[in-house]
Amino acid sequence: MYYHPVQQKINNSEPIIFIHGTGMDHTVWTLPVRYFSRKKTNVLAIDLPGHGQNKDKPLDSISKISTYIYNFLDKYKIQRCSLVGHSMGSLIALEMASSRPERIKAISMIGTAFPMQVNEALLESAKSNPQIAINILTFMGYSFSSRLGGNKTPGMWMTESTKRLMQKSKKGIIYKDLKACSEFTDGLDKAKKVEAKVQLILGSNDFLTPRIKAQDLIDNFNQPLVEEIYGSGHSLMMEEPNKVLDYLIKLFKN
Amino acid sequence: MKKPKDLNLETLSLHAGNKPDSDFGSRATPIYQTSSFVFPDSETAAGIFNNERAGHTYSRITNPTNAVLEERISSLEGGIGAISTASGQAALFLAITTILGKGSHIVASKSLYGGSHNLLEYTLPRFGITSSFVDFRKPKNIKSAIQKNTGLIFGETLGNPGLDVMNIEMVSNIAHQNKLPLLVDSTFTTPYLMKPFDYGADLIFHSATKFLSGHGVVIGGLLVDSGNFEWSSNKKFKTLNEPYNGFHNMKFVEEFGPAAFINRARKEGARDFGACMSPHTAFLILQGLETLSLRMEKHISNTREIVSFLNEHKDVKSVSYPELEDHPDNKLAQEILPRGCGAVFTFEIEGGLESGKKFIESLNIFSHLANVGDAKSLVIHPASTTHHRMDTLALKNAGISESTVRLSIGIEDINDLKEDLDEALKQANR
Ligand SMILES: Cc1ncc(COP(=O)(O)O)c(C=O)c1O
Repeated sequence: MYYHPVQQKINNSEPIIFIHGTGMDHTVWTLPVRYFSRKKTNVLAIDLPGHGQNKDKPLDSISKISTYIYNFLDKYKIQRCSLVGHSMGSLIALEMASSRPERIKAISMIGTAFPMQVNEALLESAKSNPQIAINILTFMGYSFSSRLGGNKTPGMWMTESTKRLMQKSKKGIIYKDLKACSEFTDGLDKAKKVEAKVQLILGSNDFLTPRIKAQDLIDNFNQPLVEEIYGSGHSLMMEEPNKVLDYLIKLFKN
Repeated sequence: MKKPKDLNLETLSLHAGNKPDSDFGSRATPIYQTSSFVFPDSETAAGIFNNERAGHTYSRITNPTNAVLEERISSLEGGIGAISTASGQAALFLAITTILGKGSHIVASKSLYGGSHNLLEYTLPRFGITSSFVDFRKPKNIKSAIQKNTGLIFGETLGNPGLDVMNIEMVSNIAHQNKLPLLVDSTFTTPYLMKPFDYGADLIFHSATKFLSGHGVVIGGLLVDSGNFEWSSNKKFKTLNEPYNGFHNMKFVEEFGPAAFINRARKEGARDFGACMSPHTAFLILQGLETLSLRMEKHISNTREIVSFLNEHKDVKSVSYPELEDHPDNKLAQEILPRGCGAVFTFEIEGGLESGKKFIESLNIFSHLANVGDAKSLVIHPASTTHHRMDTLALKNAGISESTVRLSIGIEDINDLKEDLDEALKQANR
């Protein structure tokens, strides 16, 4: 259900919690999770319900998923924590930080936008023929240049790796995830309620959540850190793993 | 909404994995002929070593030129990642040893390249890994050869040298019903003719020495992971399911999900066995790959003409090529190899062993040597060379007799090739 490389004790701690995006699982966070655990920071990369190794019933709204994670935190007596979320995960971080501001210290929203509207045709194919949706999400999920490879992680072909993760997700998951993103409302009001330190990591060539569509969010947060990665598409942890890590280190320095 | 259009093989074989280099804009892939890479500071060094940062440390494990080749073959095969190795043999060894160890067992096709057969039959048993060799045309035989300790099913897309066409879909179904991965040697077909992952293979390896290069100037291998196999479904695969002492107790399925296999292969096999590919070799294979589709087209059209030429020749007893109606896999070949069945095939010469020898010695354009898949046409007599250790029965099982001649058809002018063959056949039966 969740993963942290060294068996740290998370009970009663203030961990950094990593939340993946649509159709993904905790493995998208392997690199930063390894960094922070080497630095003895408590970290936790979760599989959302129905994703990866989490067998719980999939949820179809950002608020339900947020409640689910809060229940999880309560179970482990985690009063406060920080959140790093990618894409759908970034909306979950926003929802959690606005609904219980006192419990969240910092959030990093990677590859984000508001509204995160999903094209009707894409939603429809996610429902009727997920493979088409997977192809579209992967295609739009990378910058043109990254579609041709040049992975910083040697020998790994990025687009196919992303497809494989999504193909392995449970039936119906991609539709539920996309629907949850699309139906997430009041993002700007929620942004105003956030008390945590906020960071946005954005790709200049992001076709799924274009850089320009993050501007309203930026304007409604209180002094957010805005980090733009030039040339990156939406799959920032795959396309620019080292830069993403450097920005996360910067956020969590103190 | 515009449908995404993935790039085609012809485009990927020129571009995948390569970007103009950031320092000087070199369009060609630079040859990073270096053993090691300078770290900007100790913290970054620690980060790369601990797999929290992407980067290179030492060319035995990764190298930027090799990485371009690895991405390119992954893109052509539809895999998630690859490792380049010193040879095709090293790729096979790496595939096997990443998941199997003492006490494990392999079910392999009986018609294998002689070198693969050597490794499985004679060498691996010394390290506690045994193999059964069965006829992959017979599903029952495959099923009954699977033992409790079987950990891998292995065969060639086109069995060497009799050209048995593997029914990958059928074999992979059997493998998956038994929670076992299927490894396929795709050397003879290349992704131009067929992509084994589309039919359910889990791992592919190539002797990149052959068609992928085409120029015959290097030895190299490539191991590609589809990322499809559920390693966590079978606890037998301890190297991927259990913590690895050799890398901070890393649990590969947990940290890498679909990429567990290829990560273990690099972090252990590439690191410890050390059968790495030189960056210069990687560069040369990339040069070859750029023209893969052009060469394969010509290999196939030449082969088709020569097959029919020999098939009608009075000094030829028989020709074995899956596109011929009397080949046992003719129907299957039409289904899964519509673009052609490769450019390597055998024929039986009239007059037996002696005419065979004479024929080979009389050829002028064809080179007598132990290789296939060169742009130049090649010839060999398997019974006295590549398969010389096999007894008569094993030879028969592999579809070889004393009068068998193997040709690898190159991309020379078709009429020059035909004349060369015709003249040598005349000499052989004089
Ligand atoms: C089908 C096949 N597989 C594997 C190999 C071994 O490759 P290498 O010679 O590159 O080690 C060969 C070489 O002839 C081959 O023909």
